[in-house]
Amino acid sequence: MIRVENLSKSFYHQQDESKILIDINLHIKRGECIILKGISGSGKTTLLSIIAGLDRPSKGKVLIDDEPISKLPDIFASKIRAKKIGMIFQHFNLFENLSVYENVTVPLIPSGLPLDDIYRAVDKSLKVANIYHKRSLVASRLSGGEKQRCAIARALVADPDIIVCDEPTANLDSQNSILFIETIKELHLMGKTIVIATHDPLFENLNFKSRIVPMFDGKIDE
Amino acid sequence: MNRAFWYFLSLQLFKERSKHLTIIVISILLIFILSSVLFISSSIRFSLEQTLKPQPDFVISRLQGGVNRSTPIEWSDELFDIYGVTKVTPRVYGRYFFRPKGKSFLIMGIDAFEEESHKSLEKLIDSIDIKAFLTGNNMIVGEGVKEYLQKNFYNNSYKFLTPKGKFIDIKIAKIVPKETRLLSNDMIIMPIDLAREVLGYTQDEVTDIAFNVPNPDEWSNIEDKLLSLHYDLGVVDKNEVKKSYETLYNYKSGFFLIIFLILIMTFSLILYQRYNMVYSTEKREIGLLRALGWSINDVLRLKFMESFILIVTSYIIGIFIAYIFVYIYNAPLLKNIFLGGQNLQNSVSFIPIIDIATLSSIFLLYAVPFIIAVIVPVWRVSVTNPKEAML
Repeated sequence: MIRVENLSKSFYHQQDESKILIDINLHIKRGECIILKGISGSGKTTLLSIIAGLDRPSKGKVLIDDEPISKLPDIFASKIRAKKIGMIFQHFNLFENLSVYENVTVPLIPSGLPLDDIYRAVDKSLKVANIYHKRSLVASRLSGGEKQRCAIARALVADPDIIVCDEPTANLDSQNSILFIETIKELHLMGKTIVIATHDPLFENLNFKSRIVPMFDGKIDE
Repeated sequence: MNRAFWYFLSLQLFKERSKHLTIIVISILLIFILSSVLFISSSIRFSLEQTLKPQPDFVISRLQGGVNRSTPIEWSDELFDIYGVTKVTPRVYGRYFFRPKGKSFLIMGIDAFEEESHKSLEKLIDSIDIKAFLTGNNMIVGEGVKEYLQKNFYNNSYKFLTPKGKFIDIKIAKIVPKETRLLSNDMIIMPIDLAREVLGYTQDEVTDIAFNVPNPDEWSNIEDKLLSLHYDLGVVDKNEVKKSYETLYNYKSGFFLIIFLILIMTFSLILYQRYNMVYSTEKREIGLLRALGWSINDVLRLKFMESFILIVTSYIIGIFIAYIFVYIYNAPLLKNIFLGGQNLQNSVSFIPIIDIATLSSIFLLYAVPFIIAVIVPVWRVSVTNPKEAML
């Protein structure tokens, strides 16, 4: 499903090279749940962004279903992002002035689907994420947990195969964090491939099939 | 672009309505200024063309020491001998000063034996009995003259004082139609002999001689021939008259156009600056759209349509207000700038002239800088990695 091959990422400040990821190789099978675990600065968020097509590697490539998302022109890469990848961000990244319902419609707008189909998909994902009852509330008025559920609904709306989560529980209390893990479990049971970058110890002992990939100093520490 | 796109676009427009309303209000103001100026100049140009259309192609007069002197009437016989010259018309006209207030009227004499003048006059004024008009002490006056005389209690006639110290009472027979008001505002038309008397010309003198040259290719040849006839002969063709009027009004509208361009450039720079620094929230939103699967083209299309709707809305409202301001309320304030400095108060009614060229120029002059100011910074944010834009 996802193949990361010889991937490196460096940033340059004047002449100085700062290596964020060094020669990463990773194979994630369909339906797997992967936890990228590591301390801040270990490169897990950068790796996640490159897998999701939000950033480009300096070297190497990422293949999703054998398509090199990291090498594709924007028009194709964004199509893969829209169809195959659902993103859940650390800071939820909702459109604060839009309602929950409107936020969830956003990924489907450029899809070309008829509006009625979009509404049906939105209703469905709001129910899965258990936020349907708050659908008409403006995002800025939601609690942290509700924002998280709205973000989950938005990530699910296009029915992607892959769910990518960046520090999903960093801004949640323990109760909401447990609820989030329960939702992830449900998604895993639905057959979604899940990649989570986190340093939250709650993810260490998940009661569903998962693999922990430890990261340290830009490398996979195995 | 499907319904979903329009749905999201309307959401964007509505959710940020205060920002968009501010842009629309400023845009309406700018479009209103620009369209008012262009409407006024189009209307003036139309009035000029209407007025100059029946005017003769050439006018000659005696010039001595750079000053116009009375022209001998026998010059008209010499004109008849030049091949290609038609409709030779000796004319008597001049300024008559209404002493108490220092205002002046332009008196034009009409020859009783001159068929062409009669036709022009008939064209200009409907339902006029030329014969009756030319046989009595009658005059046709411009709107400005009528209003000015009425203000001074001369409702039906006015007693002109001739250079010989004699008073002639002349009756107001008709008013010149308002379409030609730009030029006819301070004009008085009367029989040529009356005009001679009022202005102090003898029977063998005229102010100038007008004539036509139907073949425009011959204009320069005829002009050369005329100048070789008499050393003190001055000649002016219709194009020169038109150009001098156009220069005057173009200068004024050009002045406004420059002000407008400065304003639109400033506004565009502000917009550019605004979108360039792009508020961190806006930049984050563009990054977020990209992260959620929108392509660069999708984002640009959204922002383009957003700007386009703002422009079209402002354009329609701005044009509509300008139309009412210029053509219904007669452009208060602006009118004085365009027509100010005239001898008599000229309450010109602008003839509604709206041509596609004017409308498209207004749209392009506004839309192009506006869209560039918005789209370029948005494009710059869109092409960066979504992760970077969301930071």
